[in-house]
Amino acid sequence: MDMNLFIDRVLEAAKAAGIDTAEVYYTAGENFRAAALEGEINRYQVSASQNLSLRGTVNGKMGTSSTQAFDEAAIQQLVEGVKESAALVETDEQDEIYAGDAEYPVIPEVESDIKETTAETKLALCLAMEKAAKAADERVWKVQRAMVSTGSSTIRMKNSYGLDLTDEGSYCMAYAAPIAKAEGKTATGGWMEAGSKFADLDAERIGKKAVEETVCQLGGKPVPGGEYRVIMRFDAMQSLLQTFAGIFSAENAQQNLSLLKGKEGETIASPVVTLMDDPLLPGGFGSQRFDGEGSASRTKAVIDGGVLTTLLHSRKTARKQGVQTTGNAHRAGGAIRVAPTNFFFKPGEKDLDALMADVGDGLVITDLAGLHSGANAVSGDFSLLSKGYTIEGGKRGHAVEQITVAGNFYEVLKSIVAVGSDLDFSGSSIGSPSVDVGTLKVSG
Amino acid sequence: MLDQNIAREVLQEAVRTGGDFAEIFVEDRIDNTLMMRSGRIETANTGRLHGAGVRVFSGTNAVYVHTNDTSREGLMACARQAAAAVKGGKGCIVQPFNAIDYTRPEEIRLLPTDVKAAVKAEKVRAAEAAARRISPEIVQVIGNYIDHVQNICVCNTEGVFATDQRVRTRLAVSAVASNGTENQTGSDNPGAMMGFEIFDSHINPEKVGETAAKQAVTMLHAPLCPAGIMPVVIDNGFGGVIFHEACGHSLEATSVSIGVSEFAGKLGQKIASDCVTAIDDGTILNAWGSIHVDDEGTPAQRTVLVENGILTNYMIDRLGSRRMNMPITGSSRRQSYAFAPTSRMRSTFIAPGNDDEAEMIASMGDGLYAKKMGGGSVNPATGEFNFAVNEGYLVKDGKIAHPVRGASLIGRGSEVLLKIDRVGKNLDLAQGMCGSMSGSVPTDVGQPMIRVSSLTVGGR
Repeated sequence: MDMNLFIDRVLEAAKAAGIDTAEVYYTAGENFRAAALEGEINRYQVSASQNLSLRGTVNGKMGTSSTQAFDEAAIQQLVEGVKESAALVETDEQDEIYAGDAEYPVIPEVESDIKETTAETKLALCLAMEKAAKAADERVWKVQRAMVSTGSSTIRMKNSYGLDLTDEGSYCMAYAAPIAKAEGKTATGGWMEAGSKFADLDAERIGKKAVEETVCQLGGKPVPGGEYRVIMRFDAMQSLLQTFAGIFSAENAQQNLSLLKGKEGETIASPVVTLMDDPLLPGGFGSQRFDGEGSASRTKAVIDGGVLTTLLHSRKTARKQGVQTTGNAHRAGGAIRVAPTNFFFKPGEKDLDALMADVGDGLVITDLAGLHSGANAVSGDFSLLSKGYTIEGGKRGHAVEQITVAGNFYEVLKSIVAVGSDLDFSGSSIGSPSVDVGTLKVSG
Repeated sequence: MLDQNIAREVLQEAVRTGGDFAEIFVEDRIDNTLMMRSGRIETANTGRLHGAGVRVFSGTNAVYVHTNDTSREGLMACARQAAAAVKGGKGCIVQPFNAIDYTRPEEIRLLPTDVKAAVKAEKVRAAEAAARRISPEIVQVIGNYIDHVQNICVCNTEGVFATDQRVRTRLAVSAVASNGTENQTGSDNPGAMMGFEIFDSHINPEKVGETAAKQAVTMLHAPLCPAGIMPVVIDNGFGGVIFHEACGHSLEATSVSIGVSEFAGKLGQKIASDCVTAIDDGTILNAWGSIHVDDEGTPAQRTVLVENGILTNYMIDRLGSRRMNMPITGSSRRQSYAFAPTSRMRSTFIAPGNDDEAEMIASMGDGLYAKKMGGGSVNPATGEFNFAVNEGYLVKDGKIAHPVRGASLIGRGSEVLLKIDRVGKNLDLAQGMCGSMSGSVPTDVGQPMIRVSSLTVGGR
């Protein structure tokens, strides 16, 4: 069935079934992914996917349902699913279908060649990355992954108030992960680049960078346990912010899942910390003109000079606190959650070398493992297997591995000494520069 | 769900350009979820996952194309796209199908799709109320009820034509204890390959709520775990995550077949203490990680991975089998049609040993007793693993002293397995979701209580 027709049929069926207000949220995407191994393309994956969710109110309660099948039976299943779900929901505070804003921002378009790039070009990049990585250093034993991924997506939101919005996006990404061996030791590492212009992905550069990141870990060893001054390199800090991003959600705060509840206007971080949520960033992985409820997107500082200015809101959480939505409603399945868009620490002046010079003696952490288990997003506690290198007299010392770095994210925000200039999004919507986080506990 | 004539046509198209193997996987799945927070049902969702994937091999290279359009035209389009990506090969002939239905209706007494959502909601309600009763320090309880009914069909050019229905039900409760300035969490998440009858025999919702809440309160009053290298006793059930991370992932063909696993090439060699026998089993009746048939159409098997410390087998999928020249082990899995399948764990556990659990702690001196483990991860190439201790106790002079929080355990798989010096008798399995290349799949971890003579404990 034609998708426009299907969407209209679903909205009509919802109305006929006594659903008071209803909204269809439709996403479609195409993805390409390939990888090279030992000079051959060993994995090649292409997909087209569509998903449609319906939400609607019955007696003021919101129900949700979703489908990936688009036949007559699916229409009935969607409508019945919403009715059954609405009958069960008990919360007083309800999500609502929104009639829409008067105006929506326009995000400046960035140049993109993803649609024109042929599969052959993408496969050639995989092979070239693997080759470049192998050639870069004789200690490279294998390249366990040399992969490219591209994708495009469309969102359409249409509701019974007549709101009808669309948004589109696309991305490309390349990643190389070599394994190096020397003197009986094995080290792994990798490098990823992502963006909206495929032609900018350079096989030589990615391959070489991946090898640098790997061979520098050879001969890594633990450091004695104790307190260390720690710089989280941009990628490690990015993964930490990603893990704890949920503490800035008003939904979590209202549900006693974040200790930032009621802390708006208070100093919660070091004065050097400014944390941005910017959905209008050109080419950003989290860029969007409107959020999951159809609210217009806007840019805001969540932490400004150490002060918590706002939590992230959907319409429901904002209404509960008597404030305006921040446009951070996010679709998760059929339901509305709160999530950041492009979320990042605003960069400072100094690069990583300058941060290291200031620290004198300490550790740079480049990789944190097991964030899904070793970090507790509710308590803020983390104790994580880490890799990196020592800083000795302000300069890079020896490689470090088999240590854990432990702390509490709420405390880290306060103890940050300096924020670096090297902001990087690591191919995601969450970004960070390298950050001197002060002192943390290390065991090894 | 898939017509054999159409299947044959699609497979023929898929190998037209020289592919030497092709496979179609079709899936139609209903997921039901209920989420309760702050004592009220907040969301109730029914979702229908529907799609298909066509996979073609040429030697050890694989092409996978997937779609939501499972009509003849949709599948043919996938086959054409896949064939176009195959660059020559020896080709193959589509063998006559041997259709086998692996569905075992006798194992499932009450299909969750036949149970009203309101009845499911009562189970979450009971768990949350029980959690709240534990302590006034419990400030939040999140209860999730999850079930799915997945219908699949997988067929290939070698004559496999398998259908199955997989039914799973789970209750997941997390509780948050707070003193206003600090939060701690606890959780309990039992599940099984069962229908709604799981609540008659396997899951007592009140007990689940209580377990989660008690853990949160215990951790709220626990001091931080000291860091250091010490002996660690790991309790049964979810403690089995140590084998899952330290060894299991590194025995999957995904990393073994390309030689990157630290256990590649070590068949027949000693990789663990003599007291360690480890098994990956897809055949346990009603187990969360069980499968009747894998996602490549191979019947489930019980695979002994390590026997008395000696590496005896790997977990091997079709592609891995081609690279390794070893038989497949019926453990190829995928989250959904949106993933190409690969070798994965099912119910993986250390087999019961002969050691006494009480003696294990009494004779350990000073160390850590890890009662409830959290998740973890591993780098198969180096064997470096890490996992979290959700509920831990400091042991002093062989006696459990007090709870500690914030502990994590790190090490290398090849080293830790050799340091297991006690294996108890009280085997238990626990349920989890395991993430890897082919997505997130339900797996059991398990073991009796074990002791590791020395391990790096991360704490503060």
